[in-house]
Amino acid sequence: MKIAWKNHLTGYIFIGPFVLGFLIFTLVPMFASLYLSFTNYDLFSPPKWVGLDNYVKMFTGDPKYWKSLKVTFLYVVGGVPLRLLFALLIAVLLNTASRAIGFYRTMFYLPSIIGGSVAVSIMWRNLFGDEGVVNLLLQALGLDAVRWFGNPLAALWMLIFLSVWQFGSSMLIFLAGLKNIPGSYYEAASVDGANAFSRFFRITLPMLSPVILFNAIMQTIGAFMTFVPAYIISKGEGGPLDGTLLYSLYLFRQGFVFSNMGYASAMAWVMLIIIAVLTAILFKTSKFWVHYESKGDS
Amino acid sequence: MKKTMLLLLGFTLLFALAGCGSGGNNETAGSGTTNAGTTGESDKNAEKAEEPKNVKLRFAWWGGQPRHDYTLKVIEMYEKKYPNVNIEPEFANYDDYWKKLAPQAAANELPDIIQMDISYLSQYGMRGQLEDLTPYLSNIINVSDISDNAVAGGKVGDNLYGFNAGVNVVNFQYDPALLKKIGVDKLNPDWTWEEYITLANKAKAAGLFFDTGMRPEVFFGYYLRTKGQHLYNADGTALGYEDDKLFVDFFSQTSGLVHSGAVPNPDYLAQVKGVEDDPLVKGKAIGIWQWTNQFIGLQQVAARPLEMQHMPGPDRTAGLYLKPSMYLSVSKNSKNKEEAAKFIDFFVNDIEANKLIKGDRGVPVSSKVKEALKPILEPAQVQVFDYVAWAETNSTPMDPPDPVGTAEIINIFKSYSEQMAFGQIKPEEAAKKFREEANAVLAKNK
Repeated sequence: MKIAWKNHLTGYIFIGPFVLGFLIFTLVPMFASLYLSFTNYDLFSPPKWVGLDNYVKMFTGDPKYWKSLKVTFLYVVGGVPLRLLFALLIAVLLNTASRAIGFYRTMFYLPSIIGGSVAVSIMWRNLFGDEGVVNLLLQALGLDAVRWFGNPLAALWMLIFLSVWQFGSSMLIFLAGLKNIPGSYYEAASVDGANAFSRFFRITLPMLSPVILFNAIMQTIGAFMTFVPAYIISKGEGGPLDGTLLYSLYLFRQGFVFSNMGYASAMAWVMLIIIAVLTAILFKTSKFWVHYESKGDS
Repeated sequence: MKKTMLLLLGFTLLFALAGCGSGGNNETAGSGTTNAGTTGESDKNAEKAEEPKNVKLRFAWWGGQPRHDYTLKVIEMYEKKYPNVNIEPEFANYDDYWKKLAPQAAANELPDIIQMDISYLSQYGMRGQLEDLTPYLSNIINVSDISDNAVAGGKVGDNLYGFNAGVNVVNFQYDPALLKKIGVDKLNPDWTWEEYITLANKAKAAGLFFDTGMRPEVFFGYYLRTKGQHLYNADGTALGYEDDKLFVDFFSQTSGLVHSGAVPNPDYLAQVKGVEDDPLVKGKAIGIWQWTNQFIGLQQVAARPLEMQHMPGPDRTAGLYLKPSMYLSVSKNSKNKEEAAKFIDFFVNDIEANKLIKGDRGVPVSSKVKEALKPILEPAQVQVFDYVAWAETNSTPMDPPDPVGTAEIINIFKSYSEQMAFGQIKPEEAAKKFREEANAVLAKNK
């Protein structure tokens, strides 16, 4: 008895710092923000209880809120599938045997290491300027230059391209998944006369589907919380015409620029719910397309 | 994955900041009252007379690189003069500055000396973040060479929440050589809005921009004053003008110039990275509408002769006003308020210090400093000093400092003026929507 308790104590001491940190820096602030979301809090004076006012205003009296939701959904719906597709494509290519494979893998992963940082966003801003490299390329191809900063949709695509370009982390996970597919499956399929096309769709994709699910969920959550590139590229404003006003950027502006911290907290909680619901939906639908070998149902 | 974690961390921080604030604020009220107690202060005075105590002051300001450079030198100069004082600088650009200051206020950790803007003076002052400087006048901050009017510019109600750091006026700053290019030798000093439109169209015809647009809250505010109206009502609880036609008239004009191409559209301007990149500097625009203190930096970068022109009329005098370009405030949570006030005194009254500042923060308020600077000023600075001197007799008193919520209103303004410029909304509709949204923000001040 006593020894068990002592053993436990050691364990508690070891996890203590994490538990403390979690309580102090995550759980307590989260509940504080839940409370604040029902108040009018401007950072300066004590919060005033306003009930559901913030939530009501969000859904009925704030066109910018809907705009930011729309922009964020476009960003997620446009960006995540593209990014996954791209990551998978590169992973398949890198899964082949080549002598310089290590070099390629490093090169393709590089954007993700430096990704999300301020410097990359600034570089991206310059690339897409009116006289930037992208427009020069378009013109060299005989196409019209795009005013990336003048058209709200073009500006959003610019952000999406940035996120697609940073596909490295999902690519690495795909690569690991690919390496896990036993080569014997492919051999057997080849013997049966399956071509590369059906090998990919009948073996690779089903075998990879749990990894795809994992990546899809992680990328969706990440995309919902994207902040830095929109902040830098639009100089903190979400322009042009709110075209890059991602949810988290609007939340930040409400909290720290307009000092409506109560409203920002309410926004944060709605975002949490949205992400939770989306994740649940992804999980629910997964039984139709995710294949787990251990179930042995195929 | 890493990014996700980073963002999670960011949000935790947001929650954390929001969370800590509620506790911290109650303390503000408590410590504020004890500090204001007279016994505490006179005790400190007595101590100081015996031997100077070591003090650490934090001084925060916004600005560009040149301002950071000379301000650091001013601090050095002060520390040399008072070796017991150690000043810790905190600086950023304008936008980041306010984003940093708000959480500091919530955490009750504002810097001792804060460079303050008119748009935020009410917000910080009325919510108990700033010290009323009235008791420090004369005994610590010497105002014998400063006009009462200049001092009063920092008042919110009866309290002096900021000390005027310099004076500003709005005008049009332009390149006379480019003006000649469009076939105009000289601007008529008494020009009207109609003449301005004509000139702008001439510039367009010559392949130039006439200007780079007008910040709506500043220049619409000026326009309203020329019509005897004001942007905000006296107590800051609603917009101050009744007739939306004024909004429609002003913005039809400005957005019309964007549509015709005489003024660049917001898309073009979004790519201007700083003053070095400004269309005027690059020789693509004839002028800029802005504050006089910005003329010095502009002139430096453009490195060719520029001139200043009055605002268009009619009724210019009613519209023009002298504005404190910025203030120096002392935070309520400062433990060394007197020392902070002493630094403010140095900043506005010391001649050697102002030889470094040279009117970058607006034309100095002290007549002695102004006199002493005259011989060493560069031509651009002389122009600014002269202009402000002219405006002293050709302007009317300033409106009260902007009400709480101004930052949000400026954003609404910006958003609608951008939409009008892109032709996405008619001025009539924007006028209505702006009124609704701005009044909703201001109604919170009731």
